[in-house]
Amino acid sequence: MYNQNIWEVAETYMSGALSESEKQDLKIRLETDINFANEFYESIELINSIEGSGKQRRFREMLRDIHQKQSVPAAPRQKAKLIWLRPQSWRTAGVAAGVAILTSTITFWSLKPSIKKNDSQYTTISREVAVIKKVQAQQQVEQNKLKQDLKNNLKPVPPPPPPSDVKYTGTGFALTNDGYFVTANHVVHYDGKNEPDSVYIQNHDGQYFKAYLVAYDAGADIAVMRVEKKNFHFGKGELPYVFATGKSGLGEDIFTLGYPNDELMYSKGYISSKNGYNGDDQQYTLELPAGHGQSGSPVIDNDGNVLGILTAIGSQGDNASNTYAVSSEALIDLLHNQLPNETTLHLPRINKLGHFDRERQIEKMEPYTFSVKVYKK
Amino acid sequence: VQSPIQTEQQLLMALATGDRKATEQIYRQNYKVIDGWLNKNGGHSSDAADLFQEALVVLFGKVQGGDFKLTSSIGTYLFAICKHLWYKKLEKQRRDPVFFQDSHDAEDNETALAYDSDINVHHEREAHFEQLDVALEQVGEPCRSLLKAFYHHDKNMQEIAADFGYTNPENAKNQKYKCLTRLRKLFYSQQAK
Repeated sequence: MYNQNIWEVAETYMSGALSESEKQDLKIRLETDINFANEFYESIELINSIEGSGKQRRFREMLRDIHQKQSVPAAPRQKAKLIWLRPQSWRTAGVAAGVAILTSTITFWSLKPSIKKNDSQYTTISREVAVIKKVQAQQQVEQNKLKQDLKNNLKPVPPPPPPSDVKYTGTGFALTNDGYFVTANHVVHYDGKNEPDSVYIQNHDGQYFKAYLVAYDAGADIAVMRVEKKNFHFGKGELPYVFATGKSGLGEDIFTLGYPNDELMYSKGYISSKNGYNGDDQQYTLELPAGHGQSGSPVIDNDGNVLGILTAIGSQGDNASNTYAVSSEALIDLLHNQLPNETTLHLPRINKLGHFDRERQIEKMEPYTFSVKVYKK
Repeated sequence: VQSPIQTEQQLLMALATGDRKATEQIYRQNYKVIDGWLNKNGGHSSDAADLFQEALVVLFGKVQGGDFKLTSSIGTYLFAICKHLWYKKLEKQRRDPVFFQDSHDAEDNETALAYDSDINVHHEREAHFEQLDVALEQVGEPCRSLLKAFYHHDKNMQEIAADFGYTNPENAKNQKYKCLTRLRKLFYSQQAK
């Protein structure tokens, strides 16, 4: 045994194939020859390691292979989004493209009587539905995908969109879970005087619901509306956010969620001035990227308090980078003083967003934030 | 027709040997839950496969050592390991603090520590294997290929003799021993540093 290769001894020892006399020899040598002992234990450890490493390697390879063969489909939750969000939007987009050829694609200027807002430096940010040709190829892809998904019978056929022409889109968000919501007044009274034929909201699942006007304040640019459907609820529980009753301070971090197009968009910024356009004390000035279609979006602080409602962006000169929001104070004023008598509208009291990180805050906001679509022949 | 593997204990013992059927069964029974959870917790399906496979490797390593005593079912164990691995990964990326949405569920402190300990053992093992791989890369040819063929690809001495042009398996085996000696020197001199 003394002449045997140390690896051979180690392998035989590890496989348990040493005879009793060999074991005895080995034991004596390990006790008496420290150099041999060190080398022997190192050899055993090395074989253990390289065998273990090899086994694990093969196990990992097998896992990858199993994964491929089982070809587990993606999580259904994401798929559902794709199915619901798009189908209505490309139908209306098709109509919209037709409309856009007749009208021009000029920016929407607010035509309210108030002088300050008839100023060319102040652009309200509802979105005139414009030419969407460039995405039509993509829509075709999505359409095929939808057909495929429907064929696979994964989801029921979505409800049909309202049969009309989208004039403007904005964003709205819930005031109560039972259907009251707020948006910017200029989204609804899009040319300053005419009532629209109809207003629909399209929620994050892509479903449409008809809404009616409850009260509005053209000066402050706030409209309160309600979904017509009986027993309607935006989400499963009470709203996750609350409305700030006072004005917040300069520099406070804020974020917003809105629908510049058919996808929910998140952006963040801060309060850059406690007053708004030309010193309007009902407003805030924000450093916040925002664009058309985001009128009526909630402005929320990190703790989940709604501070205001997006209304306009500066369009020229020094104001160009500014975004303006009406404060929630003005909203609460409107709710106190101008609601029809029979209306019972209780704003949420419990803030459920405070402890969450931003991704989860957005997730919780999603059911209560939606696109507002204004229809007019 | 083979009967499906019955008890969890049997499943674990089969897993320890790297049995494919058992692994497939565990995979099939648990992957979707992890995938669904991850999608709700800031991850994507593309992360789910990596995460779940890592958890399976943790379990594989654990049962390799003959430790079949799980504090819970295989499913619960894998789910918990996935959660811990995922939260650790998020911490590492220094994202916003993660809110432990389901911290109130059955996982008490002691259990959490047990999972953490299993994950730590796993990481130590990984680091050890990595060092070994470094040494293996430095060992030179033909040793590197020969050792990989035997230990990584599980080839026997006959195949190796044929592949590497040795006249018989005995010669290949002697070459393997020489290679192991070189590897041992490299590996332990590295460790001494």
